[in-house]
Amino acid sequence: MRQLFSLLLLSLVALCFAPHASAADYHEQLVLRPLPLSALLASFNFRSNTTLSAFEAHNFRFFPRSLGQILQHAGTRELHLRFSLGRWDAESWGARPWEGAREGGTGVELWAWLEADTDEEADRKWRTLTNALSGLFCASLNFIDGTRTTRPVMSFQPEGNHPNSTMTNMHLLYGVLPHEVVCTENLTPFLKLLPCKGKAGIATLLDGHKLFDASWQSMAIDVRPVCPPGGECVLEMEQTIDMVLDIERSKRPRGNPIPRPPPAHELKCDTSKPYHSGDTCFPADYNANQDWSLSQIFGRTMKGTCPLTDPNVPPVCLQVPNSRGVYITGGATEKKNLDLVSRCYEIAPDTPEFEMVLPRPESNEESGQAAVVVQEVVKPETPLLYAERSFTGHGQEHGGVQTILRNPSPDTEVEFIYMETLPWFMRIYLHTIEARIEGQAGASKQDPLIQEVYYRPAVDRARGTQLEVRMRIPPASTVFLTYDFEKSILRYTEYPPDANRGFDVAAAVITILNPNPNPNATSPRFAAYNLRTTSLLCSLPTPDFSMPYNVIIFTSTAIALAFGGMFNIIVRRFVAANEGPEMTLTAVKERLRKRFGGFLQKYRGKADEKKSE
Amino acid sequence: MSARRSLDIGALGGTSSSKATTDAAIAENVAPHAVIDETSGARKQPPPEKASDVRRRTYVILSFWLIVLLLGLPIWWRTTTIHRANLPLDEMLDWADGKACRPVFPLRISIQANSLQEQEAQNLLRLTQHALDDLNDFSGHHLRLQLSPPAAEESHHGDDGAALTIRLIPGESTTSTLDPYAPILDITYPPNSIPSPTSSSSSLATYVAGQLRSTFAEEQAIISFLLSNNSIPSEHRPQGLTPEAAESLSKRTTRSLKYAPTYHLTFSLFASGPLPSSWDIEAAIDEFMKPVLNVLTPIHNFTIDTQVQLYANPGVQSQILSKEDLSSFINAAEWPLSPSIGGAPTINFIVFVGNQTILTAPRETSETEGGLSTSQSWLVPQWGTVYLLSLPSDTAHVSAATLRQPLLTFTSHLLSLTGTPQSGSLPLRLSTLARIRSADLLLRASSTLGSLARLALALPSISIPGSVADGVSKTMTHLRLACETLGGPEGLAHARIAEAEAERAFFEKSMVGQLYFPDEHKLAVYLPLLGPVGVPLLMGLLNEIKAWRKRRRERAERGAEKKKE
Repeated sequence: MRQLFSLLLLSLVALCFAPHASAADYHEQLVLRPLPLSALLASFNFRSNTTLSAFEAHNFRFFPRSLGQILQHAGTRELHLRFSLGRWDAESWGARPWEGAREGGTGVELWAWLEADTDEEADRKWRTLTNALSGLFCASLNFIDGTRTTRPVMSFQPEGNHPNSTMTNMHLLYGVLPHEVVCTENLTPFLKLLPCKGKAGIATLLDGHKLFDASWQSMAIDVRPVCPPGGECVLEMEQTIDMVLDIERSKRPRGNPIPRPPPAHELKCDTSKPYHSGDTCFPADYNANQDWSLSQIFGRTMKGTCPLTDPNVPPVCLQVPNSRGVYITGGATEKKNLDLVSRCYEIAPDTPEFEMVLPRPESNEESGQAAVVVQEVVKPETPLLYAERSFTGHGQEHGGVQTILRNPSPDTEVEFIYMETLPWFMRIYLHTIEARIEGQAGASKQDPLIQEVYYRPAVDRARGTQLEVRMRIPPASTVFLTYDFEKSILRYTEYPPDANRGFDVAAAVITILNPNPNPNATSPRFAAYNLRTTSLLCSLPTPDFSMPYNVIIFTSTAIALAFGGMFNIIVRRFVAANEGPEMTLTAVKERLRKRFGGFLQKYRGKADEKKSE
Repeated sequence: MSARRSLDIGALGGTSSSKATTDAAIAENVAPHAVIDETSGARKQPPPEKASDVRRRTYVILSFWLIVLLLGLPIWWRTTTIHRANLPLDEMLDWADGKACRPVFPLRISIQANSLQEQEAQNLLRLTQHALDDLNDFSGHHLRLQLSPPAAEESHHGDDGAALTIRLIPGESTTSTLDPYAPILDITYPPNSIPSPTSSSSSLATYVAGQLRSTFAEEQAIISFLLSNNSIPSEHRPQGLTPEAAESLSKRTTRSLKYAPTYHLTFSLFASGPLPSSWDIEAAIDEFMKPVLNVLTPIHNFTIDTQVQLYANPGVQSQILSKEDLSSFINAAEWPLSPSIGGAPTINFIVFVGNQTILTAPRETSETEGGLSTSQSWLVPQWGTVYLLSLPSDTAHVSAATLRQPLLTFTSHLLSLTGTPQSGSLPLRLSTLARIRSADLLLRASSTLGSLARLALALPSISIPGSVADGVSKTMTHLRLACETLGGPEGLAHARIAEAEAERAFFEKSMVGQLYFPDEHKLAVYLPLLGPVGVPLLMGLLNEIKAWRKRRRERAERGAEKKKE
């Protein structure tokens, strides 16, 4: 049932977007979706097209020239770039936006299909691409070197329409920088790529202070060729920003950001509790009173619309039940959608400012709190799979990784590809890889959970481990995927600054395959849903960094001791104690007397003379 | 315990036992009671050392020192030495000083005189050459006349050897016209001005020489300016460059971009608001700019890209721009004008849609800007051009016709950005450009070589990898070839390669890597090792030398005693 629904939804989405792609060159849309627990998901989507002929003639209109040149220079056919921060809380927020296709693991993630005849040429182009993008987006993408680059086999499929002639010599390269801190300097170039910059339209709501203060955010850039049937091929660039804002946090005034407990009379209490009285209070669930306005949560109002945008696509949509009232500024019109849980706003082109206020729902005490909760926020969709990953193991040498994968569906099994790219200093023992269902001891023989493993071992200092596992999880069960690894010791110069913090290990990428493959078709199955685990922090044995000098001093001392002793033994002559030169205290005194005795005697002689006188 | 200690002490003093014995002897003489006080009883003399032991000790110390000197030092030397490839430093400095090459531009000028007798033509040519040589004070730039056979008239376009063709046509009076599309100078002459075979001067010859000189005056000035800016010995330099001329030339050279085989041209439409968002730039470029680009193709290649940028605020908001505002008008922080990737430099042509105008006092434009700045556009040296285009506020699309004036401005600015001379017909200007560029590249490559040589001399601790030496030798080969073929098309090609190789050699990455390796560092590494090891070695050697001298003295004394006996 669920598969059918998602399939329907997918085709619906495809149907909805296909005409737009060819009809207009640019459109943008903001979808606001209140989530449980006082969170709000804001999905910004900007899509600009350029015909392939104009792109090849270097005539750029909506497509940014700076990025276009890089793609041409590096022979890139399709590009996906992600900047992410934070963790998507699937337990309370449900399924990810865009079916997880527009997000990346923590840090920066880049994968691209490059056109090249040989692997070496692809590597060279990849280096060009990462270096150029690094300059464009002010990110350390140039650090994606051979050790951080992999060539995934099963996990990624091209999204665009590529002619078969180019498909044969397209190389997929994937690089990830889990340590990269995404910040404002990455947002500014991102906004510069938009035709309306950040000056008009929904992009005016994007503010670095709010975006990077979000509980979770992901900026994505996707470039792919799209050939609509019967139309001219276009190169489509999609820029997406998804962010989950904590409403309480966003509403704090910027000048006074320290959270303070609200005074007693402002406390919202759950009156349904039996112990509720004047002096006891159980705080009510936050989502019971989600009320906000655009300027409160984004810090500013929307400055009109971008005049270049496709007029058929409403710029702002809100996903709340139709029963809730929303106030908007004049010049905008509300259109409720048929699904009863979303509505969109058309904004007249000459509106200088657009503001939207979602007031607190009319709390009718008699109907009870629970009823309000259900009405108020659209219930989040359950994701197809939950995944958590953590470290096990002990000591400075023995490590282990455990991934807990849970299939929440009561009746459908989930088939997916689990991909890990590990740094070379985590040497995994592939024979220890094991998947077991919770409650069962060991893997069952007749129906193995692990269907297929693609493993490319690491080469020290040259490339990382690549592990792709195709798995199948039966309905309503939890699977533990574990493997062990050994931590290796790095060379002195290989440690980064602040090595004691640990080494970030990139998120595992889980690509859930479409559940009903055509059995006789050889074409690859589309990914139905993507998710990424959190990144891990692996602590390696860290040396004391004054080590080289200690080593120099220590070895020098050892050599000096050994050498000095040996040399003296060989060279010196050994005699009996009473035959050697006197070196006792008396002898020293004697020497002194011998040297200074003359003075002393003179002095004494003088004294004697005086006496005799 | 005490016995062992004294043994140690004995061992320590072992080599200097002879000194100790003499000390003890003196002590006995001076203070005999001190020895009596000794608790351990009377000190004995150590038994005399065997001669073989003494010899062995000498060998030990010598062999240690031999190992240190013959094995240790060379190993240390080899492992710590910096690889320095051999560079022909003297030759490089010669190039930089202009001693290796004397830039000479022999320009061949063919004269077509179909209506003249062979004899007459030869005579005229000789006289003209004579007049030219008299006029010319700059030996580097030399005009050579030659007579082209009359049959070659039809194929004069294919005659690539000559820089200019003079067509002598009989006419009413002496006039000259420069063909605007081909390197041809038409000179008409009255029939009576043909010099007789015996005359030693002719007004026609003088006239032709004067015309030629004025045609090539600018090229000559530029080349002599280039040479004077480099360290070319003064005897090759022309003298007749006035300070004003030099100043205007230096202005022009700073304005033009460094030579590159390829330039990226970026055409950008900037608008401060949302409109206009499209333009017919492709058609406009094809119509107004392509012809000039095609003509420039032998010297430069061009790649073109265009972009539209909306909501772009200029750096200066005021309605009327003064001259000072122009430098901050380009909002470098916000406008995406990043240079194109790839090695070639980018020339930016910006059309800014807005109603701003430039305030130009009439005096200012004519003098300080050299007439380049109109009230609509200005040229940014080595960067590009900005053109202010004012359009009705609701224009959504800029047509090719509207872009005519901006593109014509850009075209003329492109010529001055590439360093094309300003006078003469276009083909002449371009051939002059090729010569100027090859001279420029030649000088630049030479001076890079000189800098590299000086760097290698000034920093003895810098490593010089083999690739640098390769680059230098390649540069010098091509420089030599370029110097021989200067003025021709292959001269430009060689100079281009030489310059690229010289730059690559100079900016070799591995040269800068370990440039700084301070002495304190070395001390900190060597001292802990050399101190404890070196001191016993040194002391051993000193003691041994002392003992050896004593032995010799004793032997001498003994010899003297024997003699006495």
